[in-house]
Amino acid sequence: MNPEERGDGEHPGATAVEPDGGFAAAGATNELRADGGALRLPDWPVLTVAAREYRLAVRSRWALGVVLLFGLFSAAVVQFGATSVGPGRFDAVVATLAELGVYLVPLAALAFGYDTIVGADEQGSLELLLSLPVSQGRVVAGAYLGRAAVLGGAMLLGFVPGALLTVRYLGLGSLGTYVAVVLTAVLMACAVLAVAVLVSTLVAEKAHALGVALALWLWMALLHDLVALGVVATLDAGGTAVAAAVLLNPVDCFRVLALSQVDVVAGGFGAVMAQAGLSVPVVGAALLAWTVAPIALASRAIYRRRL
Amino acid sequence: MNAIDIEDVTKRYGDVQALDGLSLSVERGTTLGVFGTNGAGKTTLFKLLVGLNRPDDGTVRVAGLDPADGPAVRERVRYLPEHAGFPPNLTGREILRFHTRMRSVPAEKRAHHVERILHTIGLAEAADRPVSGYSNGMNRRLGLGTALVGDPSVLVLDEPTAGLDPEGIQAFHDIVESLAAETEVTIVFSSHALSEIEQLCDEAVVVADGRVAMQGPVEVLRRATGDEVTVRLTLADADEAQAATATLRDEASAGSVSRTGPRLEVTCRPDSAYDLLTIVQQRHAVDRFEVREPGLEAAFHEAVGTASTTSGPDASPGDAAGGETA
Repeated sequence: MNPEERGDGEHPGATAVEPDGGFAAAGATNELRADGGALRLPDWPVLTVAAREYRLAVRSRWALGVVLLFGLFSAAVVQFGATSVGPGRFDAVVATLAELGVYLVPLAALAFGYDTIVGADEQGSLELLLSLPVSQGRVVAGAYLGRAAVLGGAMLLGFVPGALLTVRYLGLGSLGTYVAVVLTAVLMACAVLAVAVLVSTLVAEKAHALGVALALWLWMALLHDLVALGVVATLDAGGTAVAAAVLLNPVDCFRVLALSQVDVVAGGFGAVMAQAGLSVPVVGAALLAWTVAPIALASRAIYRRRL
Repeated sequence: MNAIDIEDVTKRYGDVQALDGLSLSVERGTTLGVFGTNGAGKTTLFKLLVGLNRPDDGTVRVAGLDPADGPAVRERVRYLPEHAGFPPNLTGREILRFHTRMRSVPAEKRAHHVERILHTIGLAEAADRPVSGYSNGMNRRLGLGTALVGDPSVLVLDEPTAGLDPEGIQAFHDIVESLAAETEVTIVFSSHALSEIEQLCDEAVVVADGRVAMQGPVEVLRRATGDEVTVRLTLADADEAQAATATLRDEASAGSVSRTGPRLEVTCRPDSAYDLLTIVQQRHAVDRFEVREPGLEAAFHEAVGTASTTSGPDASPGDAAGGETA
């Protein structure tokens, strides 16, 4: 294993021309202008790559599409849920957000991330990127961070109409829970995006990556639960199996975290979670792990990619 | 210290042996031209130099460092891939600015540095246009621009003039000549235009079947196949060419004579070329003639073991049927 693969830093050895590699460039900043504003970031290579990816994603109008998609989604869910007749109107809103979010959010994240690396390769820009004086793993991490920033930011903006309607129909007191669900959805999107970037690093062709991404969506949003339910029912497995089934799917982690916010559901649901040994911190940590682990794997897999 | 030292490197992709015991040394400040047939291993060799590939066996040192060590080598080496592309939504200026950041050009110098490169590569006017609107030649120029960012020790350029128009090719030649004259940078580039290598390079290397088939100073390689020049003649028709062949065979100063349809090629010593031409022109109807000095083309063919002048490079396959060689 060579020093670069070990992640020994930007410049292994003492012979680098610029030992700081841009890290210690005093006062140097990285200008990020994607939406007309200017954001000053430190001039670290990983952030420079992230800023470039951010700019590209914003200009491709993907971000606008995600804002509109989630804007319509959140407004529709809150409008119909909050204005319905009967008790537990807000619980219905959160439950609907969670149940529909498990289809929409992973689809958006996978579609947004599947071409991150393989797309750059087919475009001819990956070789140039990887020939820059930054470890190749950090190029992957930077590309992910840039896309995650766009996806996360666009989702947050997209959920604003829903937040405004929540305050209007259900009062300010409901906003905290709404925001918690939205943040969990963003975290789930980042986790699924990380999986998409891993796929993008492993496959050789963009069309192949798209196929794998769609298969993953099918698995995470639909099939995993059916299979898990079948296994648990058939084997009469206990709480450990339920816990494993939840933790092995970032979409289920989101669903559990979102539904745990709902009072009506939380009673029985909380008991099931407790029996399975699941708690909000445990599931939250699992979702974080789903974010970090695929990127760590992708950062290593890039060295084995044939260029 | 040599800029590049490669020793007995092998690289295999599945069943394909891309490099097979390739060894090469390049002195600092040298402009080296690499040529060879398609699939000879040139691109694989270049990728090894920037650490984008790892050798299966053997050692590679660039500026004294192992490219497999990663960023330290890439700080010194600039690489222009054969099929370099850019994100279509960025402008040429933004791409160069990105490279200046990644290459640790001080923030206060970036704008000037980028401006200078844009002028050098002739893209100043198109700098703020998205790359999606660039032609293939403009893309190649931009790629060359990225290779000029910072203060490189070694430039590795994979077919930098492929797809360039004559103006772009001249711009590239000017850049290489200027770098070679004013800096100590080592330039390694591949090209199928052997005249380009003859014009720009101090040294040339022929890569064939994953090995160095021939390496040396360009002047030496040009003479490697002898000092004889080749006189190419196009006569009025095939009968005229056949008669001229007989005439030339009677001349002691003529070397080998070959005929393909109305075209003739005769080799001779440089000081005999004018006399032979005069003799043929006095007796036969010559439409066109050309005197070719010994060049890399002959060295290339000798190195890779292919025929060079029997049929002549501009002969069509159909013509070859009527050819003969003396």
